[in-house]
Amino acid sequence: MSSVRCVDLCKTYRQGDQDVKALDHVSIEIDEGGFVCLVAPSGGGKTTLLNAIGGLDIPDSGEVWIADQRIDEMSKGELADLRLANIGFVFQAYNLIPVLTAQENVEFVMQVQGVAAAERREKSLAILDEVGLEGLETRRPAEMSGGQQQRVAVARAIVSRPALVLADEPTANLDSKTSDELMELFTELNRHHNTTFVIATHDQRVMRYAKRIVRMLDGRIVEDLEQDAA
Amino acid sequence: MNIVLRLAWRNLWRQPRRTWLTTGAMVFSNTLLVFMISLQFGMYELMIDNTLQVFTGHMQVQAPGYKEDQKMRQTVPRIVPLADSLRDRFGLDTIAARGWAFGLASSDERSYGIGIFGVEPDYEPRVSSVPGLVREGRYLEEADATGIVIGSVLARNLRVGIGDELTLLGSGKDGSFAAAVVHVVGIFESGIADIDRNFAQMPLRLFQDMFYMDGDGHQVVVSAATLEAAELLLPEVAAALPDGAGLVVHDWDALQPGLRQAIQADMSSAFFMYGILVILVAFSVLNTQLMSVLERTHEFGIVMSLGLRPGRLGRLVMLETAMMGLMGLLIGAITGTLFTTWFTVNGLSIPGMEEMAAMFNLPARIYPEVTFATAVAGPLIVYGFTLLAALYPALRLHRLHPVEAMRVN
Amino acid sequence: MRMTPVLTRLAWRYLWRNHRRTIIMLSAIAVGSWAMIFMTALTRGMVDQMIADGISALPGHVQVHDPEFLDDPSVVNRITIPDDEFARRFDDAGIKAWASRVRVPAVVTSERESRGVTLLGIDPAAEREFSFVSYEDVEGRFLESPEDNGVVIGRKLADKLDTEVGKRIVLMSQDPDNEIADRGFRVVGLFEASMPTFEESFVFVGKATAQRMLRIGNATTEVVFLGDDYRDVDPTYQLVAERVDDGLDVKRWYEIDTYLGTMLRVMDGFVLIWVIVIFLALSFGLVNTLVMAVFERVREIGLMLALGMKPSNILAQIIIESMLLLAVGLAIGNVLAVATIQPLQDGIDISVVAEGMEMMGASSVLYPKLYLNDVVLANIVVLMLGFFASLSPAWRASRYEPVEAITKVG
Repeated sequence: MSSVRCVDLCKTYRQGDQDVKALDHVSIEIDEGGFVCLVAPSGGGKTTLLNAIGGLDIPDSGEVWIADQRIDEMSKGELADLRLANIGFVFQAYNLIPVLTAQENVEFVMQVQGVAAAERREKSLAILDEVGLEGLETRRPAEMSGGQQQRVAVARAIVSRPALVLADEPTANLDSKTSDELMELFTELNRHHNTTFVIATHDQRVMRYAKRIVRMLDGRIVEDLEQDAA
Repeated sequence: MNIVLRLAWRNLWRQPRRTWLTTGAMVFSNTLLVFMISLQFGMYELMIDNTLQVFTGHMQVQAPGYKEDQKMRQTVPRIVPLADSLRDRFGLDTIAARGWAFGLASSDERSYGIGIFGVEPDYEPRVSSVPGLVREGRYLEEADATGIVIGSVLARNLRVGIGDELTLLGSGKDGSFAAAVVHVVGIFESGIADIDRNFAQMPLRLFQDMFYMDGDGHQVVVSAATLEAAELLLPEVAAALPDGAGLVVHDWDALQPGLRQAIQADMSSAFFMYGILVILVAFSVLNTQLMSVLERTHEFGIVMSLGLRPGRLGRLVMLETAMMGLMGLLIGAITGTLFTTWFTVNGLSIPGMEEMAAMFNLPARIYPEVTFATAVAGPLIVYGFTLLAALYPALRLHRLHPVEAMRVN
Repeated sequence: MRMTPVLTRLAWRYLWRNHRRTIIMLSAIAVGSWAMIFMTALTRGMVDQMIADGISALPGHVQVHDPEFLDDPSVVNRITIPDDEFARRFDDAGIKAWASRVRVPAVVTSERESRGVTLLGIDPAAEREFSFVSYEDVEGRFLESPEDNGVVIGRKLADKLDTEVGKRIVLMSQDPDNEIADRGFRVVGLFEASMPTFEESFVFVGKATAQRMLRIGNATTEVVFLGDDYRDVDPTYQLVAERVDDGLDVKRWYEIDTYLGTMLRVMDGFVLIWVIVIFLALSFGLVNTLVMAVFERVREIGLMLALGMKPSNILAQIIIESMLLLAVGLAIGNVLAVATIQPLQDGIDISVVAEGMEMMGASSVLYPKLYLNDVVLANIVVLMLGFFASLSPAWRASRYEPVEAITKVG
């Protein structure tokens, strides 16, 4: 069963006085449990594709299916619910709410979902443990390193066990050691929980962990290869 | 210098909404201030003029102690010749002699105690508005031997009309029994119950006869064209008084201390309110300018590392504030003027204020007027406090270290 | 609504993220609300005092007269119902106090001077509750019974008349046939009053003495009633109106002294306007603060939307932030107001403008009066208006598109 299915997506932006084709008839299928890297130079369309998959951005034309639900025709409210329940996001930066502690940041999504307080607390502490941040629960983002912040973001993204995790250049601000640690974590989760990962990146280290590399250029997919993950 | 001005101006418009909101606070306050100050001072002038016009005049010549005690025997001797000489000396006919006594007025059906003025019929209309308020009959004439004018409420209470007879009883200058029979020749109506109920006027000659005054009187009322002119006239009148009689001249403030005091009390409470408005605007400016400075910490750091001194940056911030303040001042003064002018044309009457207005001799409908002073006074003060408020953020810049600053963000 | 706790927590923490700005806003709100309440307490106190003085001069909350009397205050228009009849009707009626009296304009003459006054023929025992005169503070003595032959006058009047306790004065008025009715009285007491005009205009004699002097038998001209609250006169009015027909006229205090009545209403309007004006002056700063705060948080708002939070939650969060700011500011302002009004409870001496106050009918000592109603009104108005003022920035914040918000570079 496929988890993500995009059919003939097109999206054009206006930048200044130019029209930029961010997505140019892009089609792609990703199975459950997949671990895909979208690779492209800046402006190649990977972020746009990611946003389309995540229901953040509606393409001009084409279809987007998440687990057999067509999302490109959903209302904003339905999309919000979808993101809340089924998709986890990790952005490049500004992932966290600066006035909340690490634990509160993780609990935040669950609170919006309506999870009871006790359960929230339990789950958030457990997940922070899992990502190796035991002891840092009460720290605010400003009091943590870049790597720790990203880990909190990951913890938040996965705490409610979404089927799909979308990450946009998650290692961009991290040093090499921390990048490796982060990717190890992703791989763990992918293996243990069968979570589908779609990661946009142009970091070689990240690509080594992927099971499939999709290269894009000027809004088109130019290469789609499976590989053995590291 | 030009570039700095341009820079300051453009800095203001980096955050247009913020600048407009802060200017908005100034414009709001200024509009209110212009309106209220114009209204206030217009009202005060009106209050004073109207009140003095009734009986007090701008100043009065009296016997010493009369102002406090008002005793019949505290008289101004040979009052009519004195008034004549003052009229000649100053070339003014807004000078009138009066006597005042208390007595009982009886008609066929009723009796009431009233205040009785003895007046010079030719000159009284020049110093008082009452003669002009005669609604029925006519005012007194010099030739009237037994004429009297009374207020409309008194006429009603006594149940008399024009031509009816009244008996007056009282005590003369020496304490002896005084009586006279008079005829109503005129009825005046001022609209103020106290005046229309409690007073009557008769010719001074008749008064002097009835009360055995021996040619004396109690007050010489002197009025000038304006309050300012009266102020200048007073010492001259004092100097023109005959020596030896010990007569004094009192200005209107001494005669009606309540008037100036009521105005002072009102001004105090008004200033309190204005003060609060100004302070709130100052807070607004402080907030805005402080934020504006903090936002640019990084940028300022760069500029300072290039060699610019914090003092110059401080002056830039003050310049920005001055410009924004100027906007608030001009726009506020203009909107305030327009707003007030609407009432200059259409008048302002606050529902329910009619009685209060009457209490202070004010008409029920007021037409405030904007003068340059009233239009500019409030906004200028706001402007001053605006600059004051910006001092803190401007001075704070002296504490800025370039390297630290650039580490922000 | 289950989101409220986390939204409130966010709102509170966001407030303190930029503590300088928050402190400045709080100070402004505190000063504004302090001014609202302080000024209101002062003006209320003044008006309350004025009305209390005015009512004590009338006196009473409800008055009964012959229908012609108010227009034509002569003994011709007297009330012929005797006192025991009134006692029968009113003594058990549940009215706080009542008294019948003879009130007429008169002339008082001393050896050398005359003045116009209002003559009051009273029963001192019955009038104790009403009177503006404190019987014990009278120099000499007050009247002892309705048959008392003495007269009690104000100190200022005594000065003007050049008379004093022990001397004789003559009171002159008219009887029902318009004949002069006069009588000599010995001054037995001098009173002082907070309003100097009271001292100059009122003279007290025994009711029976006055009735004899004016040759009106056991008639009176005025019956006065005191209820519990001058603000709520209607119960007393009803009670009186029911038991008095006889073609007599019943009036409430504000129908007789319309100046005082309007003062009360004007004051209520003034308080509201003052509150609104201050709020409007504050509102610019408030909206500014919210707009700036939202602007700084664009990315975070985008994040929250991306994570699946509803736009309505964003709206709620901003509004809660604004409400918290106002609430704390108001709290500080309220406390400040109470703290500054307390020490002034003994009165502020404004005798420097005493005559001016007299012109307005106010005394020369100002007692601030803090009414719960006024405080509640000020706070509610500020919160409500604040709510509406924050709607615009909050609305705009909730309208952000997650993608745009997230990709906005600062």
